[in-house]
Amino acid sequence: MRYQELFPVPTEWVQDVDEAMAETVARWAEQEVMAKRLEYREDYEKLLLPAMSKLFLDIGLQAMLWPEEAGGGGLSSPSAAMTVTAMLEQAGRADTGIAFLLANTFALQSTFGIEPHRNEALLGELTPLFSEGREVSVGALVLPAYGNGSGGERPSFSGLDYQVTAWRKDGRWVLKGEQVRPQCSGATAGIFGVVFALDDGTPAIGLVPSGVTGLSAGETFKKTGLAASVNADLVFKDVESYVVMTGPDGVKEMLCWYYMGCSAACVGALFASHEILKEWGETRVIKGKGHIFKDNPLVAALMGQIGSRIAINRILTYNLARMLSKPDLYGPAGSQAIYATATAIFQQVSRSAMQSIDNSMELMASAGYATEWNLERYWRDVKTIETYVIPETVAQTGMAEHYFGSQIV
Amino acid sequence: MRTVDDFTRPLEYLSPLDRSLGMITREWAEKQVMPIRRDFDEDWEEHRIIEPAFKKLMGELGFQRFFFPEDLGGFGMGHSDYAAVGAYRICEEVSRGDSAMGVSFGVLHWPILIISLEPHVNRRLCEEFASMFCDTTEPMFAANAMTEPQGGSDIENLDLLKGSTIQTTATLDGDEWVINGHKLWPTNSGGVAKLFGVVCTTKLGSNDPNDFAFIFVPTNLPGVTQGKPYQKAGMAADKNSDIWFENVRVPVWYRAHGPGDDFKYFKEMVSWAQMATIGYVGGAMMNAWEIIRDFANEKTYRGKLLKENDDLAGVLADFATAVDIVRIIGYQMARMLDRPDLYGPGWSDEIVTKARAYKYFACDRAVEMVGKAMNIMGAHGSDRVQDIEKHWRDIKICQLWLGGKQLGQMEVARWFYECETL
Repeated sequence: MRYQELFPVPTEWVQDVDEAMAETVARWAEQEVMAKRLEYREDYEKLLLPAMSKLFLDIGLQAMLWPEEAGGGGLSSPSAAMTVTAMLEQAGRADTGIAFLLANTFALQSTFGIEPHRNEALLGELTPLFSEGREVSVGALVLPAYGNGSGGERPSFSGLDYQVTAWRKDGRWVLKGEQVRPQCSGATAGIFGVVFALDDGTPAIGLVPSGVTGLSAGETFKKTGLAASVNADLVFKDVESYVVMTGPDGVKEMLCWYYMGCSAACVGALFASHEILKEWGETRVIKGKGHIFKDNPLVAALMGQIGSRIAINRILTYNLARMLSKPDLYGPAGSQAIYATATAIFQQVSRSAMQSIDNSMELMASAGYATEWNLERYWRDVKTIETYVIPETVAQTGMAEHYFGSQIV
Repeated sequence: MRTVDDFTRPLEYLSPLDRSLGMITREWAEKQVMPIRRDFDEDWEEHRIIEPAFKKLMGELGFQRFFFPEDLGGFGMGHSDYAAVGAYRICEEVSRGDSAMGVSFGVLHWPILIISLEPHVNRRLCEEFASMFCDTTEPMFAANAMTEPQGGSDIENLDLLKGSTIQTTATLDGDEWVINGHKLWPTNSGGVAKLFGVVCTTKLGSNDPNDFAFIFVPTNLPGVTQGKPYQKAGMAADKNSDIWFENVRVPVWYRAHGPGDDFKYFKEMVSWAQMATIGYVGGAMMNAWEIIRDFANEKTYRGKLLKENDDLAGVLADFATAVDIVRIIGYQMARMLDRPDLYGPGWSDEIVTKARAYKYFACDRAVEMVGKAMNIMGAHGSDRVQDIEKHWRDIKICQLWLGGKQLGQMEVARWFYECETL
């Protein structure tokens, strides 16, 4: 049974282009990743990079927002949110880390590639990087994070410190910072989208291509999951940036796209875990009397919870995509209301995905944590997304500010 | 500054050796394990950096001799009223460094327990195997070969199935047992163990406890084959593999105790394993608490140290509460095994049930709370440099073994609610 039938989405919102792209990515998943998962495990060089190359370059996901005449996919309206969601859940089923890189990339590109912020000049300038290049180009976000020392009044975003400081020089914003941790791909990204504060404290998003003077990456470090992200801390030593958005609404809009993409990646991980658990449940017997595992009432009760969570998480993710797709109905994506909802949906989806894969592992016992059965990689990937995107309590207090008017002291 | 020693345990239960055993193990973990543990994942197959740490603890410090009688070169803890609380403390301290080393160390003693623990000491078998562990400074591992391909945790489902699904057979041929079968997943397999305790049946399909046999098999005998270790989500210091027994012959007296008693004392061993598992996750939780404590004292949010923010402090409080409770439960379970005169024998249905209940409670809390601690740490939570993510992966594996949660739930429900048809 296809996922569209098993875990339905509001079909009236899904357009032909969304379905077509989802099917293309699903084919890529089967041909390039799923069949090789065991052989290459999570080998970046042998499996992930070649697969990413097919997806990002040959299928063209990294240039979806570029005009067709420039070799892109021609998406430019907010309805691209639905296309991105449909694609990323399929990519996430194959490799959740790859979908996470795309969530970063699309969120960053949304700041200059989606109406009403579409910036044709900048798109033209970045065409060699994303649309004409022959290298995988990931856009990596650098978001506010915990600070490294108490005391002193510093500008903050939702209570988190900006990882770089900035000042104006010759009409450009210059960034400085050490031990700057990007969301992904510190060692390999093509461009970074850095959230920083202008001199009056206003948040802004600046673009910094990798390779510019003053930007360097430290040693790559190991993580729980997301093997597709070769991450490293960055040093910004007086690095010039190009500001694409200013104001809290701009940053929140980008984060809404990011939360949507990450939610879709988690849904993809749930699809994969569902397939794995289903096969397990149908082929194992328990109690020594030929009882099929999935037919045991206790097991079935837990499987029921897992299935319902997948269904709900998918619908929620599409609802978020719809809200971003239709600003005329729901208001601008950077509004506090949409931002709070996006945060809530990401929190719900990521936590619920974690819980569902956790439960699936419990049902599969040792096969749940054996690399051979592939489930554990999705478990590690989703956990890494859950920790990276936004600390749980920071998200909670942010939602309290919106839903209850809390003024956090 | 608060330390792990501020977490509670019932002081009147502690072994007279608690302080010395604890301090020796702690020093070993801090010097031999913690500085190198984040490279263990890449060493899962070779154990090049893991093995020397084992050698120090087990061979040179001699902890592999823990349960053997003193006159055979052991520590004599099999005769002690503090065997379980002593073992618990060591499991906790080893696992504070690395819970996979904890389980590998714990399981080396697992088959030994059935022949060295009062009141069921098998002196002849202790004499037979003592020199293997006591007369060397090299690390010597043992393993329990239980799980089988066709039924997974069915073997551990003793209360319901009573060994009826066991496919590994032991056939008497003169004065030898001939063993045939295929086992999966034993800790310390994959070429590590020198001695297996093998769960067999003397009559296929029988649910008569008299047909359940626990037989010792040195791994160098003809017909014993160990496969290559499996790659797992964590627990790199614990190797697991397939094992095949093909017409393996051992003397008839290599059976631990004989009809009925093998089944009975094996149930007690399962209870010990549940208790030790609380020690593995408890030790890992204690170290995870140290990591989040340091992180919360270093990083800032809203201009204040993390720990000074009410919202984060609430989660930090939950975490510390869970560590404290898990530790109390672990020592309580150990005490119950040490004092059968008060709580009943370790093989009784009541103790077996409560061991399962405490184990899955502790594991569930550990998985939940260490996961939350990672979430507090944000991008640093899944960074290997912080080590907490390693504990999280390892703890999850502890939660899933010994039949996993659902089997435990059924056993607990059966006893507490006197269910008859589950």
